[in-house]
Amino acid sequence: MSNIPGGVGASPPKLEADEKVLGRATYIADMYRSNMLHGAILSSPHAHARILSYDTSAALALTGVKAIVTGDDFDHNYMGPFIKDEAAIAKDKVRYIGEPVAAVAAITEDIAREALRLIEVEYEDLPAILSMDEAVADGAAVIHEDLNSYVKIYDAVCHGNVMSETKLEEGNVDTAWDQCDLIVENIYETQAQSHLPIETCGALAEVDGKGRVELWSANQSVFRVQANVCETLGLPMSKLRCLTPSVGGGFGNKMEAHVQPMVVKLAMITDRPVKLILNREEDLEMIRARHPSRIRCKTGVLNDGTFIAREVEILMDGGAFADDSPGVLGHSLLCSRGPYRIPNIRSQGKVMYTNHLRFAAFRGFGNPQINFATESQIDEIAAKLDIDPIDIRLKNAMDTGDPWFGGQIVESNGLKECIAKAREASDWTNSADNNRSLGIAVCGHISGLLGTGAIVRLLEDGTVALNTGATDIGQGSDTVLSQMCAEVLQVPLDTISLASPDTDGSPYNWGTTASRVTYTTGRAVVGAAKDVETQIKQSASEMFECSADDLELLPGGKVGVIGVPGKELSFFDVSGFTHWRKGGPIVGSHSLVYDTATVDPKRANVTGLPFGQIGVYAFNAMIVETEVDDRTGRIDVIRAWSATDVGKAINPGLVEGQLEGGFAQGLGFALVEEMIWDSGRLANPNLMDYKIPGSLDVPYEINTIIVEHPEPDGPFGAKGVGEIGLVAVPASIANAVYSAAGIRLRKLPMTSERAFNALRERAEDHAA
Amino acid sequence: MSNKQPLSFTVNGDVAETLISGGETLLTVLRDHLHLTGTKRGCNQGVCGACTVIVDGKPVRSCLSMAALSEGSEVATVEGLSENNVPSNIQQAFADNGAVQCGFCTAGVLVTVTAFLAENADPTTEDVRHALSGNLCRCSGYKKIIDAVMAAVMTQAAEASA
Amino acid sequence: MSVSTKVSQPDNIAAALNTLSTDDEALCLSGGATLVAMLNANLVDPSTLVSLKNIPELSGLKQNSDGSIEIGAMSRHAMSAASELLVGSNRGIRDAASKIANPTVRNMGTMGGSISFSDPGADYPPALVAADAEIEILSASGSRRVAASDFFVDWYETALKPGEIVRAIHLPAADPDAIGFHEKFARVEGDFATVSVNVVLALDELNCRMIRIAIGACGPTPVRDIDVEATLIGNPLDEATLIAAGEQLARACDPMDDMRGSAEYRLNLVPQLVARAALRARDLLKLGVAS
Repeated sequence: MSNIPGGVGASPPKLEADEKVLGRATYIADMYRSNMLHGAILSSPHAHARILSYDTSAALALTGVKAIVTGDDFDHNYMGPFIKDEAAIAKDKVRYIGEPVAAVAAITEDIAREALRLIEVEYEDLPAILSMDEAVADGAAVIHEDLNSYVKIYDAVCHGNVMSETKLEEGNVDTAWDQCDLIVENIYETQAQSHLPIETCGALAEVDGKGRVELWSANQSVFRVQANVCETLGLPMSKLRCLTPSVGGGFGNKMEAHVQPMVVKLAMITDRPVKLILNREEDLEMIRARHPSRIRCKTGVLNDGTFIAREVEILMDGGAFADDSPGVLGHSLLCSRGPYRIPNIRSQGKVMYTNHLRFAAFRGFGNPQINFATESQIDEIAAKLDIDPIDIRLKNAMDTGDPWFGGQIVESNGLKECIAKAREASDWTNSADNNRSLGIAVCGHISGLLGTGAIVRLLEDGTVALNTGATDIGQGSDTVLSQMCAEVLQVPLDTISLASPDTDGSPYNWGTTASRVTYTTGRAVVGAAKDVETQIKQSASEMFECSADDLELLPGGKVGVIGVPGKELSFFDVSGFTHWRKGGPIVGSHSLVYDTATVDPKRANVTGLPFGQIGVYAFNAMIVETEVDDRTGRIDVIRAWSATDVGKAINPGLVEGQLEGGFAQGLGFALVEEMIWDSGRLANPNLMDYKIPGSLDVPYEINTIIVEHPEPDGPFGAKGVGEIGLVAVPASIANAVYSAAGIRLRKLPMTSERAFNALRERAEDHAA
Repeated sequence: MSNKQPLSFTVNGDVAETLISGGETLLTVLRDHLHLTGTKRGCNQGVCGACTVIVDGKPVRSCLSMAALSEGSEVATVEGLSENNVPSNIQQAFADNGAVQCGFCTAGVLVTVTAFLAENADPTTEDVRHALSGNLCRCSGYKKIIDAVMAAVMTQAAEASA
Repeated sequence: MSVSTKVSQPDNIAAALNTLSTDDEALCLSGGATLVAMLNANLVDPSTLVSLKNIPELSGLKQNSDGSIEIGAMSRHAMSAASELLVGSNRGIRDAASKIANPTVRNMGTMGGSISFSDPGADYPPALVAADAEIEILSASGSRRVAASDFFVDWYETALKPGEIVRAIHLPAADPDAIGFHEKFARVEGDFATVSVNVVLALDELNCRMIRIAIGACGPTPVRDIDVEATLIGNPLDEATLIAAGEQLARACDPMDDMRGSAEYRLNLVPQLVARAALRARDLLKLGVAS
């Protein structure tokens, strides 16, 4: 345990907890500027149409309207993290109902919205592609005619409406089926889920006296905001400063651009601050959601339960723009083997352009979908072989040192311990005797990806300033990163000052996504803090006239001579020396990009995978207890046990928070939430019709169990936990439902209606 | 001629006076006129609960309350739960027990819970789950919020008996 | 909503009725739980909102000397849910009120406002029909009473004519040995019902002495069939009989497909929830929980 208050392994309250409970935290909607204009967006009424003309004259003539922008105000400059296919606003075409077509800035929001009604846009309707199947069909209308000319940052396989096609293969699947005693094949389907953070998307942009734009927005990465705005507006990055207020949740919705490019453009044209906050309906209809998927999964095993072969085909709906889709598909396929040894496996998939809103990053990033399929199927196999679902998993589970699908060696793997602990805590072994219906599912999930940096400075008075560029969207990264810094430097947590992400001053950080901040940015923070430690010791060695090797940091911001109590200097002393006498201000930095290869070409054959170095693996075993109401089909989750190997829990309380929150969001995904379209229009774009679980829907008894198998290069051994708590929820519930009621549900959400119909069918089959 | 009318009411013990147009809600007045931005807009339909405030002793949705009808009312918002930035027992319990992640639902939850505990100082966990049923949280899964409320109950009970 | 919407706050009923009958773009505002949400979403754009908040004739929940109950139109759901006057055969109203939305919205929404909107998914319609309630309607020219079953006319349509408002809901004196119970099935807690069943039940030893069943959220108006009810009198209320009765009631239902469930699912739920509601009501009677 740590020597310092709030150090690594402790659960101090979050740095901003007081501010939030006092109601003093400032979110984007809480920001005001003098002379500020308000923005509003006109969205497309068509799923697929050419834009023939705009007539904004009547709208511009409305008193109080100061500017209107449309696609005509932008060049053909496109953004996109993998395929650059998206302009700041609809250009030449609209590709989904709800796509921004025009944006207005006016002196009040009411006037801006009134102006929307006066804008006339002439469209030429095009055939709309309203499903994945329509997208793949021969002769389907093409949504991105210029797909071939778009810039792609990876070796993309794309053509027609195929956004990205990926394949991973190991062993020899085609001959392996013959070895199998049992082969099971099923189709699983998952739905579109809306992120629905309680805070909607918004931005506030202002041009300063030097002609630079200052942009505040609800975001998961100031750097992605900067890149997206600059790419679509043709602005040099030096002309745009991006900052982050408090953020009210994201889950992926705020990872890439939303209204920022339009808002910046309006601010530049009017030369006044412009603020635009989406209302709930707009946020639901306009921005992004989780990829719907259809998965064909086939697994072959021996009678003793050994996994021999697997074949997976995934079709995903990517929506109108690529956004993170290639990554989501790739990650989904990468997770299609699960945390098991399956020597022969071929997984391939396509994500399609359709005339829906963009499907993009959402907590789990493709793993929840594939996990539902593969973990359900394992239970189906276990049932046919009459093997306990836990035993069959343990039999095939990867061990530390085994390679993940693709070949990357997993160097910390606590899966078996997670399973054992969940098994014990849930009293799994006796559940049948006690008439309790339990189900299990397990997963591995990455944390990592891409680049990050950290800067740690000793201020003049010896206190510590930390700057990482990582956005805290509520998960607590500000606190966790500060705890790591405090631990290395042995100073109390509350003496660290943490800079807010700012593209002007923060080192590059890809973003808060992929469960990466604790692991990736944490490594940078530890590196930077250690750099400061080295410099402190260097200066102290001069001040003490000894070797730096004879020095150690002492709790409380001090450096002392090892073995000589009392011979110590405070950071204040050292800082005074370095600032005014010798060495210069102490600035430590560390920068890294995750660089362990995902694919070992000697093991795996891979095409179209959009990332080459993805991250390290955390593990989770999820057991739930359910009851199924015979009369209505309603599935009630009574309690859950979520055992997770996080490497090292930097802040156990925050780890629990991620697991509990992930569970609740997974519960919604599993049982209740579904975006429903009617001829291309989102039919439930509001909270009356799209329901998320409330306090009476989520069980109170979510038992989180922290397991720690330190990741060798993780900061203090830590791995990420932001997403993993959601991934295995749907399959664990489906498996528990099978135990409770003998019905196998293969389509999400598992609504009471679907369960009711399955119960009826089962009763009829038994009667027959 | 301006179509705005004067509105005067009490917020967190202070008199607030402003000019409103008839169609405004209490939420808009609190946030945009008085810059009491602690109360949030999450859906503007009364479902999410982020806008919950106390009006004349009862928790209500400020997004569904016409501002004009608040004339003369006593309104309490999250900003009024603390004094001189010293968190109330309930606010402190939330901060200490991990009940605040992104914080966007927090104001509405705190107001709801404060009103609830004023009526029921010794609730069960189940009572608390019911009391929270009108506040959506997307981050926490509700467990730590419930635990924070129970912690606040203990603190209040200890103070009461001291 | 338009910036020019006015809010008027009459303190007497005549002034309110006058505005409503002379300005056809005026809407009356009771709790606001539905209307203000619609205003916020720009689904309505009234010239004037006539607030009924300060009108004494519309407030209060009281018992008359003959035992009948009068619920003022402005009675908030929270008040009705806590009222000690809604007992016995009238308890189903209280039960329905307690299951609307969530505690905070229940501080705002009113019975008069709710029934005037006549959302078929709402909880009061089947409860009022099962309770044999009467709706008192006021206009500038006088007042009239309409049976609850005649008040709900169609999807979002009531017997109210332009210029009329609900003044009060009248319930007959409670049968203290009977019980009212509201069974609500929804996607999540606090949602509108997918199907609701309101049962009023009295037993004679183990058999049914009196039963009234109204189905909600399964068509434009609540469904009740006194012939089906008659078949259950004298019956021990076993599962099979209740299911059969529920199936008959389902045949009289005409639900839609919507976000909360398909029409087919609703029709399947009706018999199950009729059985469940009746059995739960019976259990409550046996426990002596009539109030």
